[in-house]
Amino acid sequence: MFDKYRFECYTVSALTNLPTFQIDERTCLLPIIRNMLNVLLVESDINNAVLENALKSDGFDILKTQYSPLFLTLTKQSRPDVIVFNLDTPTENLIIDLHKLNQQCPKPVIMFAGDSSSETIDRVIKAEVSAFIVDGLSGRRVNTIVQIAIARFKQRQALKDALEEARTQLEDRKQIDRAKSILIKTRGFTEHEAYHTLRKLAMDRNITLGEMARNVIAIAELLK
Amino acid sequence: MKTFIKVTEIWIPDQERTRLVFGNGLYGALTDFKAASEQQHFSYDEGLPGKAWAAGHPIVLTRFEQSYFKRTIAAQQAGLTCGIALPIFSGDFLLAVVVFLCGDDEDHAGAIEVWGNDPVSGDSLHVIDGYYGTLEHFGNVSRQVTMPKGQGIPGVAWAMGMPVLTEDIGRVSEYVRSVDAQQASITTVLGIPIINSCEQIYVMTFLSARATPIAKRIQIWTPDRQGKQLVCRQGYSKNNNNLAEIFETMTVNKGVGALGRVWLTGMPVITGNREASEYNADLDNLSSMLAIPVIGRGRLKAIVTFLF
Repeated sequence: MFDKYRFECYTVSALTNLPTFQIDERTCLLPIIRNMLNVLLVESDINNAVLENALKSDGFDILKTQYSPLFLTLTKQSRPDVIVFNLDTPTENLIIDLHKLNQQCPKPVIMFAGDSSSETIDRVIKAEVSAFIVDGLSGRRVNTIVQIAIARFKQRQALKDALEEARTQLEDRKQIDRAKSILIKTRGFTEHEAYHTLRKLAMDRNITLGEMARNVIAIAELLK
Repeated sequence: MKTFIKVTEIWIPDQERTRLVFGNGLYGALTDFKAASEQQHFSYDEGLPGKAWAAGHPIVLTRFEQSYFKRTIAAQQAGLTCGIALPIFSGDFLLAVVVFLCGDDEDHAGAIEVWGNDPVSGDSLHVIDGYYGTLEHFGNVSRQVTMPKGQGIPGVAWAMGMPVLTEDIGRVSEYVRSVDAQQASITTVLGIPIINSCEQIYVMTFLSARATPIAKRIQIWTPDRQGKQLVCRQGYSKNNNNLAEIFETMTVNKGVGALGRVWLTGMPVITGNREASEYNADLDNLSSMLAIPVIGRGRLKAIVTFLF
């Protein structure tokens, strides 16, 4: 994680050989740690000065854009670490794009909004927005919000991956059982023999048992 | 793996049995050609399937332009240049017509021939129709050869009255054209006899190079001695396929499964995934099958399967 950061203005004094720090305005204690994170800031009609300044002072690299039908393409091309919206309420098209984004290249999405209706919250949650902040834009909180959103996104992704893996394993298990029963029926194998035949076929081809099972089922389907 | 045949279709008589309608087809990625074909129908002596019905034997159409072929524009757009129609009869009555369509690019080396005898003059076969693609020299040689009964693949298929599948044809010295076949890179030959009468014999041959086999796998199934079950007599593919071999050890009862239905009805079938599928050599995956009955005197002699 540490290598994700670098110090801004971490220059070496020629005289002292000691680093000089740019002092953080807010804490007056710590040097500014520049986030190596890229933020895609999607603008709307709302004034973004507070948000933009906060992101800049927190050391984020910002790419600004207006929301348009090219949003998905731009996101895929620019590959931001996090996407930040500042808007009154998300449009239906934006929600659709966020659903597509989740399917194609999921990213942490933070939305600062003015609309607190339960309907909007419901749509935003379904679109898997990592953080939805209503009337809560404060420069001091932006960095924390971004970091929490990223952490929450990663946790969610890990859960989704685990779920997908479990689903695949379950599906593989079903397919393997089906392939075994085909081999038992066509060749009169015992269950043990069927499993070992399937495993040998998979090893010969250097593929998983699940893939081999699907192959056996496909051939059996041809003869059905 | 590229296969020599790009499109396979089955055309069947309609309810009144006076015209042919689309039965089934394998088109791979050629979806536009598929769409152009599904709505087609052919009267007796019309289009490629109708002509084969009227001729009573397999026919080869090597040029679609200014011919009786009805889907020329769609075929050109799909890169198809040649069509072969194999009518399946039981006695005088047509059961179905199987149509094969091939491309003509340099990557596809192979040939499809129709051999026939002269019913009056006797016991030898000659090429009456042939598609040779880029194998022009081999085509010229073949047109000059006559094949007595029992000699060469067509002659053996005629003598046995059964389909014949030979691998590594260039190494088989008894094969009349083995040297020419070797020069043309042809390795595999499948001969299918069409015997509807004692006098008139036809044999259809599929010749293919190793790089572009006729199909990913070919099998010949025959009824056992008791006529109770079908058994696989021969299976061949470019690469060994131990999965396919497992299924070739099973026996098939009449009416059970795709092959059992072919035996029961005498009708060709196409099964499996009819959409485009990428071949994965590691998986040796076979996603679709065409099964053709070989009928002699109203009885099933064999079933030839083309697995794609």
